[in-house]
Amino acid sequence: MIPQDATALMADRFGFQDVDPENGPWVPREAVVALARALRDELGFRFFVYCAAVHYLAVEDEENPEDEHIVVAYRLRRLGPGTESVGFQVRVPMGESTPSLVSVFAGADWQEREQYDLVGVVFAGHPDLRRIMMPEDWPGHPLRRDYAIETRHHPWR
Amino acid sequence: MEMIPRADPYLDPDSHDPEGDLLVLNLGPQHPSTHGVLRVKLWLDGEVCIKAVPYLGYLHRGVEKLCEKLTYVQVTPIIDKNDYVAPMTNELAINMAFEKLVGAEVPPRAQVMRTIHSELQRIASHLLWLGTFCLDMGGALGGGATSFMHTFRERELILDVFEELTGCRFHYNHHTVGGLRHDIPAGWDQMVKKVLDIIETRCHEYEGMLVENPVFIARTRGVGVVDPDLAVELGVSGPNLRASGVDHDLRRDAPYAAYDRLEVNVITALEGDCYARYQVRLAEMRESIRLVRCLLDDIPEGPICGLKPVKLPGAVKCPETATVYSAIESPRGELGTWVVGTKKSPNPYRCKIRPPSLHSLALLPYMCPGNNLSDIIVILGSLDPILGEVDR
Repeated sequence: MIPQDATALMADRFGFQDVDPENGPWVPREAVVALARALRDELGFRFFVYCAAVHYLAVEDEENPEDEHIVVAYRLRRLGPGTESVGFQVRVPMGESTPSLVSVFAGADWQEREQYDLVGVVFAGHPDLRRIMMPEDWPGHPLRRDYAIETRHHPWR
Repeated sequence: MEMIPRADPYLDPDSHDPEGDLLVLNLGPQHPSTHGVLRVKLWLDGEVCIKAVPYLGYLHRGVEKLCEKLTYVQVTPIIDKNDYVAPMTNELAINMAFEKLVGAEVPPRAQVMRTIHSELQRIASHLLWLGTFCLDMGGALGGGATSFMHTFRERELILDVFEELTGCRFHYNHHTVGGLRHDIPAGWDQMVKKVLDIIETRCHEYEGMLVENPVFIARTRGVGVVDPDLAVELGVSGPNLRASGVDHDLRRDAPYAAYDRLEVNVITALEGDCYARYQVRLAEMRESIRLVRCLLDDIPEGPICGLKPVKLPGAVKCPETATVYSAIESPRGELGTWVVGTKKSPNPYRCKIRPPSLHSLALLPYMCPGNNLSDIIVILGSLDPILGEVDR
């Protein structure tokens, strides 16, 4: 559940209405850093919980077709008794990047590197965007949906 | 508390030292004091560290990719191997997320049993940490492995308790979507009570061995002080955060399972050094003993699983496309699971695990600079990282 003051801030300042109570609003990419900073400085959401990305393949449906895209989800937490958390998510079209949150939360550093490594989403402005889990010369991003799970990959082909 | 200047993790060592006098040292990945296969690249000026860069991924097994292939009920035995020191809390974390996703109810008996298992697992995990932490400091503590042998002796008792319950010493596969797989055998609660009595007296022994040892005090007090603001910003949780004076514990603040029936005393310390982290973990073991005793006497009767016994692995399906996040307080901190499920599918679409150790290790680039090499070993040990869950 998103706390009352966060809902008010999102509606008044950023114009997000009818927010999903579990995952939070869909934030345009240019507003992500401003939203994170406002939540941290004004409402005390200082704890960085996670940054997670998921890859969606294109859907060729006549009624509601979808392009191939990546969704990046964040969550921040307010600590102490009665802790509350607020999430927000960003839709990133393939081949484009989303702003990095490292300038606001130092904890976003390794999390964004991990999502870059495994899902292949580029975080613009990240100071040190390298692979973190896979070897440096690994081709491809394993958590993409079109990355075959049962084929052998380099160098064990 | 005075302000601690924050080290720069992106420092260029060449600009710091144009003459090239720095020694580059690889700590790990096979070094025993790295608690697994962590590699830290250190730039040393004499004995003092200038910059530290951790390299992860030596234990990366692709658990999140495997979750996409397996069905909801098949994921649990894989997740056991993530945090191999506390498998019970791992199973609980992932199954709570799946239950939220598929909308399964957990009966009260299973909730109370889950809470007991988590607390027993917390004691076992902290015992292992205490032993290996003392081992890191080597011969200074009465022959090196003494404390290690003592704590492993007591940890073995808890493993016996779990073996009696599930048939396995280590990777239990005990939780499932909707509840548990095995009910309590006859006489199990008496066995647990005996074990708790033994461990409670032994906790005093550890305290006597360590607190009255001047070498232990000298190696830990004032070493590796964590600034609470930095820890919060990095997402550090659990005993590492509470040792810096932040009063936060999901067991009390966002109760899950049967924690709403309990009064959990959150243990904090103000100093934020390695000694404070030791104090918090030791006190947490005593608190866990108290919590298990509170619950053991009134375990409600009833079923232990809210779903019908599953014959086919694909029988548990997600009713609607949804994304959920659920978190528990594992022995190392906030262990969360972020799951995307698609309608009528028995497999998670994407499953992300938020390991608390990964966030604790993110402290290293900030904590190592300015410390001696020998202190870095102590700092690393005091953070209690488990590389199985860091790399997944």
